[in-house]
Amino acid sequence: MTGGSLAAALSEIVGARHVRTALPERVTYARDGLPTHRHVPGVVVLPGSRDEVVAVVRLLAALGVPFVPRGAGTGLSGGALADDDAVLLVLTRLNRILAIDPKNRLAVVEPGVVNVRLSAAAAPHGLLYSPDPSSQTACTIGGNVAENSGGPHCLKYGVTANHVLSLEVVLADGRIVQLGSPGGEPWGPDLVGLFVGSEGNFGIATRISVRLLPVPRAIRTLLADFSALRTAGEAVSAVIASGIVPAALEMMDQSCINAVEDSVYAAGYPRDAAAVLLLELDGGREEAVAADAETIAGILRAHGARSVLSAADAKQRERLWQGRKKAFGAMGRLSRDLVVQDAVVPRSALPDVLEAIGRIAAAYGLTVSNVFHAGDGNLHPNISFDGRVPGLKARVDQASGEIMAVCIAAGGTITGEHGIGLDKLRYMPLLFDGDALAAMRAVRRVFDPDERVNPGKVVPVHACREWSGLRIADRGLRIEERGRSLAQSAIDNPQSAIAPRGAR
Amino acid sequence: MTDRGGFEGLDSCVHCGFCLQACPTFLATGDESDSPRGRIELMRALETGELAPADPGVALHLDRCLGCRGCEPVCPSGVRYGRGLEAARALLTEHRGVPPLVRAALGVLTGTGDGSRILYALTRLVRATGIPRRLVGWGRIRFAMGMLAATKPQGGGRRWRAVKGGAPATDASTALHRPPPPSPALLFRGCVMDGLFSHVHDATIRTLQVNGYEVREVPPQVCCGALHAHAGLRDEARRLAGTNIAAFGDDDTPIVVNSAGCGAMLKEYGHLVAVGGRGEAFAARVRDVSELLAERGPRPGAPLDVTVAYDPPCHLMHAQGIAGPPERMLGAIPVLRVITLPDAAQCCGSAGLFTLVEPAMSRAVLAPKLASLAAARPQVVATGNPGCLMQLGAGLAAAGVPAAVRHPVELLDESYRAAGYYA
Repeated sequence: MTGGSLAAALSEIVGARHVRTALPERVTYARDGLPTHRHVPGVVVLPGSRDEVVAVVRLLAALGVPFVPRGAGTGLSGGALADDDAVLLVLTRLNRILAIDPKNRLAVVEPGVVNVRLSAAAAPHGLLYSPDPSSQTACTIGGNVAENSGGPHCLKYGVTANHVLSLEVVLADGRIVQLGSPGGEPWGPDLVGLFVGSEGNFGIATRISVRLLPVPRAIRTLLADFSALRTAGEAVSAVIASGIVPAALEMMDQSCINAVEDSVYAAGYPRDAAAVLLLELDGGREEAVAADAETIAGILRAHGARSVLSAADAKQRERLWQGRKKAFGAMGRLSRDLVVQDAVVPRSALPDVLEAIGRIAAAYGLTVSNVFHAGDGNLHPNISFDGRVPGLKARVDQASGEIMAVCIAAGGTITGEHGIGLDKLRYMPLLFDGDALAAMRAVRRVFDPDERVNPGKVVPVHACREWSGLRIADRGLRIEERGRSLAQSAIDNPQSAIAPRGAR
Repeated sequence: MTDRGGFEGLDSCVHCGFCLQACPTFLATGDESDSPRGRIELMRALETGELAPADPGVALHLDRCLGCRGCEPVCPSGVRYGRGLEAARALLTEHRGVPPLVRAALGVLTGTGDGSRILYALTRLVRATGIPRRLVGWGRIRFAMGMLAATKPQGGGRRWRAVKGGAPATDASTALHRPPPPSPALLFRGCVMDGLFSHVHDATIRTLQVNGYEVREVPPQVCCGALHAHAGLRDEARRLAGTNIAAFGDDDTPIVVNSAGCGAMLKEYGHLVAVGGRGEAFAARVRDVSELLAERGPRPGAPLDVTVAYDPPCHLMHAQGIAGPPERMLGAIPVLRVITLPDAAQCCGSAGLFTLVEPAMSRAVLAPKLASLAAARPQVVATGNPGCLMQLGAGLAAAGVPAAVRHPVELLDESYRAAGYYA
């Protein structure tokens, strides 16, 4: 079937104005929130209902055409991009909240519902949808399910996987299956848990039942500022060690603070601070939360905080959070191009890893801004650069690889919430051997035997059983040295890093 | 003006997508090509030459942008979307010329010659017959009739007077009111405002007088050029700007404007006419009527017993960043109740000539606003821009929602009249 007749067949299903074939239109879908990756899809289709999704998927199955599901395109790993031999299946029009059930504290939504709109709809019932990725004003619940999205408040309340009760999924061949159940405990294998975070590899969730939580009755939001990154990092561990679980515990460094303070989301963060911690404590009783806040403020001061401010009212709290949540978008103030990394390290390693990142940035002459979920040890180093400068992008990639390797060497992993997508494929062999990668692929084939849904993402295509991989064996080496050597193999020659060792 | 003509305003976009939900056309279609982020991709590709201005796929989605700039105030990186759009539209216009409908509308609406004067006079005659109001509906012509009907001055405010023959409020602020020394302000009349909304000009002059301004006329002024700039006719816009800059002189007397669209454009003169800093000096003098009034309090009037939904024009709120002053104006009217709808900040779909040249998208953008107005049932919808007044007026009438549309300054004027300030 030619591109033209495919478009015609899709138009039959969804109507011609919801099929995009002109180059300029496809170009607007060539990137997601990590714009260093650019892939122009062959056709873009925007179905308007579950039935249209099924019909489109069946058509594509009959034709053997690969496709990529996409929500708002705010993902940060190149996961929602399609090549020109694939169809991009955009779910933004499936944006209905089907039910809010306050008695059972759950909601049923279509995948294109914007995260923050669900909480807004639940608010009159005193409820909220807890996972709150920074992009929550734009990203969709379907995308959150695909990426198992986190967010500041996941420290206490858990990530998306902890809040999805059941799913209606359209598989690659167009069959509809139900995973999980709205009410009871899961029985048998946790298929919902398997699907959440599958990065669009297992099919399309067309109905999503999620848990709603009561809006906390008492909230305290603290802003602590530090004159060194290291002390801020140490304070994080001290807070966690206190036994009090903050709802959120975020860190921003000076470069990030200044970008935010220059923007419309200026929150009053001290510009002269090397880092700030933004903490939230919540609970059912004012006095208890106030007492916890007092304890935490004391710990922060004892660990080097120059000052600890408590948000005076809901308005100030909102400003403090908006500044943090829009920080990523404010990076354009530093330079026109941006890559963001997403690694998780043990909290205790934060001070060392942050300093190592600083040294790598200095060595490559790059600006790195850190804004991240400190309580989870989930780092987001942002590297700002001007892609028009010849050779700079290569240096950025090199530095990114080194940062990632440092995180792995510190006992960390390569993604906390942004997913593998395209961007982190090259790091997968640093973490998993051939057997593990082959096992992941086998699981994927249960859902999608032809690997037609979101092809080429998540699991490196060269994975095979006999691959023995680069294992992190020597834990005695200094993390940076080991990081550098790991980075070399992955970055200098990505093909060799993901090819079987024996083949090199 | 830089040599990149405005495209440089797009450089700081890092593709985060935080603008998507602020875009009325993206909300209407869910299509990235109809979103600010998608359009920035198109504009960047136009600048680099990767996409040609001749490509209909480019024009379609840039034409479908309202230019409401709702994406700008939510952008963390401060992308100057409006500047980029103007540059891109100038490129498109260079290539394909101006569509005949746009050219005709510009000629009729923005002219200063006898032709336009006669046309406006005839239009007012048609309006006075009351026929347009009876023809109102959703088709192109019927909607246009609704728009015309919405411009009709109405004395209906009397029925809102809380006290017959009303007296000024006697709260402390009124008792303490001392007329400030009169200071001069120059009225910007514009084209559509002058042709169809001269009653708003009258209200502007009267209410400013009550608040210590002496409003002066500046005869040789012309249209602000906003509609030309939006249509990609930057040279024509620049020519009009030059005329206005010369007409309003070189001193620092404030230039008062009651049309949000004109105000936004006049404040852009610094960008449009960079030579010798004259544009910038002019732009610095431009003040929306609500800004001038809010600075003086404004003086409280007599009570009006009316429920008003305030709908901020995009070019006031997003383009000029003016949010509080109009509400302070309405706050000077005792008893009057202001209700704020959750989607008030969203565009009504008017957007200058957009409602005429992109009727389908314009109505799609208007629909959710009409639905929430129908649910809230205000007696008056107040908004400070001629296009929005006409769009909302036509939409409300077509949908059968019994609410009147008014410029906020008309309500203050009514309150002052009831208070006897004009006696």
